[in-house]
Amino acid sequence: MKNRIMTHIVAGYPNMKECEERAIQFARSGIEFVEIQIPFSDPVADGPVIMKACEHSLKAGTKTKDCFNLMKRLSKRFKEEKLETKLLFMTYFNISHKYGLKKFCKDAKQVGAYGLIIPDIPIDEESHEGYLKECKANDLNPIQVISPITPDERLNKIGKVAKGFVYCVSRYGTTGAKSDLNPKLKTYLGKVRKYIDLPLAVGFGISNRAQINAVHKHAEIAVIGSALIESSSQQSINLFSVGFDVEEDF
Amino acid sequence: MKSLKKYLINKGGHFGIYGGRYVPEMLIPIMEEMEEAFYEAIKDKEFLKELDDLYKNYSGRPTPLYFCENLTKQLGGAKIYLKNEGLNHTGAHKINHCLGQALLAKKMGKKRLIAETGAGQHGLATATVAARFGLECTVYMGKRDYMRQRPNVFFMEQLGATVIPVEEGGQILRDAINAALKDLISNPEDTHYLLGTVCGPHPYPAMNTYFQKVVGEEVKKQLPVKPDYLVACTGGGSNAMGLFYDFFDDKSIKMIGVEAGGKGIKENKKKAQHAARFETGSVGVVEGFKSYFLQDEDGQIKETHSISAGLDYSGIGPQLAYLKDMKRIQFTYATDVKVLEAYKVLAKTEGIIGAMESCHAVAEVIKLAPTLPKSKTIVLNLSGRGDKDIFIVTKKLKDKKFQEFLTQHVHEK
Ligand SMILES: Cc1ncc(COP(=O)(O)O)c(C=O)c1O
Repeated sequence: MKNRIMTHIVAGYPNMKECEERAIQFARSGIEFVEIQIPFSDPVADGPVIMKACEHSLKAGTKTKDCFNLMKRLSKRFKEEKLETKLLFMTYFNISHKYGLKKFCKDAKQVGAYGLIIPDIPIDEESHEGYLKECKANDLNPIQVISPITPDERLNKIGKVAKGFVYCVSRYGTTGAKSDLNPKLKTYLGKVRKYIDLPLAVGFGISNRAQINAVHKHAEIAVIGSALIESSSQQSINLFSVGFDVEEDF
Repeated sequence: MKSLKKYLINKGGHFGIYGGRYVPEMLIPIMEEMEEAFYEAIKDKEFLKELDDLYKNYSGRPTPLYFCENLTKQLGGAKIYLKNEGLNHTGAHKINHCLGQALLAKKMGKKRLIAETGAGQHGLATATVAARFGLECTVYMGKRDYMRQRPNVFFMEQLGATVIPVEEGGQILRDAINAALKDLISNPEDTHYLLGTVCGPHPYPAMNTYFQKVVGEEVKKQLPVKPDYLVACTGGGSNAMGLFYDFFDDKSIKMIGVEAGGKGIKENKKKAQHAARFETGSVGVVEGFKSYFLQDEDGQIKETHSISAGLDYSGIGPQLAYLKDMKRIQFTYATDVKVLEAYKVLAKTEGIIGAMESCHAVAEVIKLAPTLPKSKTIVLNLSGRGDKDIFIVTKKLKDKKFQEFLTQHVHEK
């Protein structure tokens, strides 16, 4: 992979067709992972940009099954073009719960998902929900999200169940809100690696090439979420066709 | 199960399939710290003594349990007692859990309180305890509630709090909760989120139940006989849990929760004309806990409607969902129209102006009392007084003279 980057799309924002085109552009430029967010009305971990995108998408009538269809089309296209980009669903637990967790995992696998990112289903609820179990049964990677204040003992527990890669939130706060990289990133990730032997993805607030480079010094995967959603609504396709290697600031 | 009371404040925070702690990893250490501090505090005699002193000398507890002789006569059935939580400092039961949580926040070394508020009663009580304990305070309020409960916004600001109108979503309570959770995610170290009902991730439901249970404990002492029925309105459920809690282990006592019936039990795909979660809701996981929510077939949360901002919420506390499944609490609803009628009846027969939220319970009692023999006793929780509702009520009752006064007042230099 030439770009160990994960980008983010809110399904249905600005519309399904553009989402599809964007994801294909991402894949063609060698982006390793694309998260497709199934919009939810109450996205507690998301900042204003993604929140607005979710609201917009839901207002336009996006349904959970439309998001599955989007991924299905993308998987097919990636296969045809021999693109190796992996697709993930990002959403909140209520969406999968209402859909039926078993069926959600089964269908996600069927449309080609590599894994799921569901920030509000912590490992502590496993005995009640069986989320990890369902992911395992369907060969999906349940991507764990951790934060700078996750204590050692918990990192150890999470390390035992994590698969694929681990998403390390780089600072306090919700998604979006541009910020300088956490100066303690190196120490933070060093601590994480003591317990977790998987590639680490770092995200939250990353918005330019310099930051991506900085992340890549310490972590395998850089995550660009809100920044692209913001710029894409203005600069649109132009930006994507240029590719990420030459783009200085999104 | 031996003691329902014990179970409802259990350390695991699950109540049957409900409750739990469904929050992003960032919030887990914060919730664990709070949980630990809380279960320690309630074993600490000093802490409990201080809380008791605040209940008494700051808030004015015990609040009266008043026998509504006129209303009882007029309805001609069961005896009606009213627990007047409206006589608390700041005008509602919300001060009970605010005092408890503020003491806890102080103990944990927090510098700042944040809160969501619907009716503004919880925000007002939070701003009050923040002033009392020398803590910074930010209150989130849906823009629509901000407009309809403007008197409380003014008072919160007088108390030194910053009130932020939330523009997202339906601009009501649920949007304020989302905004407050995001604030907490952004400021996990110095901030305590003083959540104002028995909802949210563990330990909030157990903790607020604990701090509210003083209501029922007082009733038990004040009432000369054993009650037959307990009635309370249910937004998130804190005043109901407060009144009911001490009676849970006595199965002969019936309990009724009254949800907001709004304009009737009607809804479309996106919006309900009511906030009666047990009428048309289903099980979901939202805002950190599992319970009943008004949602569509994809799990998108619906907007709600109620004349009372404090009941205008799409979710309900997990303990109440459990108690409903167990058939320990029976749920019903009162529509806006019935609530306004009840408001007038209570004011005219007993000289008590109740909060719109509390008048949902009054409406149910007006329905229930005449169907019961005179030997039966009902206790109704009047969770708050009605001062804050002055603008809604004048509008709904089309009080011309008062509206003229308002217009004049605005134009006066
Ligand atoms: C007076 C009053 N009663 C009831 C409520 C509803 O909350 P709960 O169901 O938690 O008691 C509120 C909420 O704002 C309120 O202000």
